[in-house]
Amino acid sequence: MNRDLILKLVLVIWMSLAILGAFLIAEPAERFPGETSRIMFFHVPQAWIATLAFFISMISSCIFIVKRKLKADYMAQAAAELGLLFSILATITGSIFASVTWGSFWNWDPRETSIVILLMIYGAYFALRSAIPDSNRKRIFSAAYSILAFLTVPFLIFILPRITQSLHPEDTMNPANPGMDSKTLAVFLGSLIAYTGLFVWMLRLKYRLLILIESSEPAFDFFEGEQQ
Amino acid sequence: MRIESSTYLLEAAAIWMRDMRSEFRTRFAINAILMFALTTLITVSFAIGSFRIHVSEKSFLYSVLLWIILVFSALSGLSRSFIKEEEAGTIDTLKLSAKPQAIFLGKLFFNLTLLGVLELLIVPVFVILMKYPIKLPGYFIAIVTIGGLSLGAGTTIVAAMIARASVRGALFSVLSFPLLLPLMIVSIKGCERASEGVDVSGWPEVKIAIAYLIVMITASLFLFPLVWEE
Repeated sequence: MNRDLILKLVLVIWMSLAILGAFLIAEPAERFPGETSRIMFFHVPQAWIATLAFFISMISSCIFIVKRKLKADYMAQAAAELGLLFSILATITGSIFASVTWGSFWNWDPRETSIVILLMIYGAYFALRSAIPDSNRKRIFSAAYSILAFLTVPFLIFILPRITQSLHPEDTMNPANPGMDSKTLAVFLGSLIAYTGLFVWMLRLKYRLLILIESSEPAFDFFEGEQQ
Repeated sequence: MRIESSTYLLEAAAIWMRDMRSEFRTRFAINAILMFALTTLITVSFAIGSFRIHVSEKSFLYSVLLWIILVFSALSGLSRSFIKEEEAGTIDTLKLSAKPQAIFLGKLFFNLTLLGVLELLIVPVFVILMKYPIKLPGYFIAIVTIGGLSLGAGTTIVAAMIARASVRGALFSVLSFPLLLPLMIVSIKGCERASEGVDVSGWPEVKIAIAYLIVMITASLFLFPLVWEE
């Protein structure tokens, strides 16, 4: 408990520093109008966490299918819920940035398209989970769907940008080729680490909550197939 | 020689033929799909009219409309293959009669036949009715064929998943759509390029559609036994 408490305090302080740094330390980038480049410290980590959550959900689904451990399914569900939350956040922050920089809220740029598709995959995942009353079948089907959905993602990532033009400033945002100066880079990495810590904290919380909820219910359904 | 391995495709063909025969008797699925497609096509054609869209805009708009008609007709009718088993109560007998992968292949062939009939009827009617200008007919036919095959491949396993769920029709569309999006994007682009006559050396969209087809069939063959045996 003590170690958890210390880590949470560290996360709180780190996140506060990252937010302050985003507004006070880092300077606005050249190609962006006004102060809008500051959104990069929030929008990019959210989008990154949304994809990471999807990846974790898919891996947990694979583990569930192979080993049938219930905890893997809890992890998949928890990761999917958080992935949905962060995708919504990334979409909203991205739209705000788009409306200020490029004039309209939505443009169907490849990155925007892929985040919407991610949102739809999460939505479909939860629709499937809630439509099947039998819990064992629910877990297997949603794990299978998660894997199928993950298989369509490489098509989107690697193919869309080649087919269509992109509005996203690729050269500035690519960390392998930092067009950012060291201060901006430091704040950006700090924000990324803060968001990852936040995600891990929420994931563990949701995971433990699911274990508690599921362990208090009966182990099998008496009335299989009955509509609830 | 083991008998098991030699009857794999025979089982699939038997299931396919049985579905074709029962479909021929009642014609539920094919009617649903064709009527949906025809109604949408007539609405679109009536609303747009013959002279409203300038020729330079036609290639883009008509590719989109064609694929909307095809995808939504597929989403309205393709779930029949498993729902009909569920309603007739023959699921358990089906489980006993063949291996899961053979069942999947049989149902896949059936869905592909339905889609083949749909495309054979709707695509020429669309092209003629809307005066769709196609400069590269070979590429167009390739995209429409492979796209149709991939459409069936992506939706069959989802149909198996929703056969016992509560809100089947809507759930089928909700679940299939994210899986079909990459295919739709590529097919629409391919049709647009075929219509404009743009340089398509290397046939990029067809290759992507074939890759999607292979990925979906392989993944479904792996996952279907799980879904089938719950």
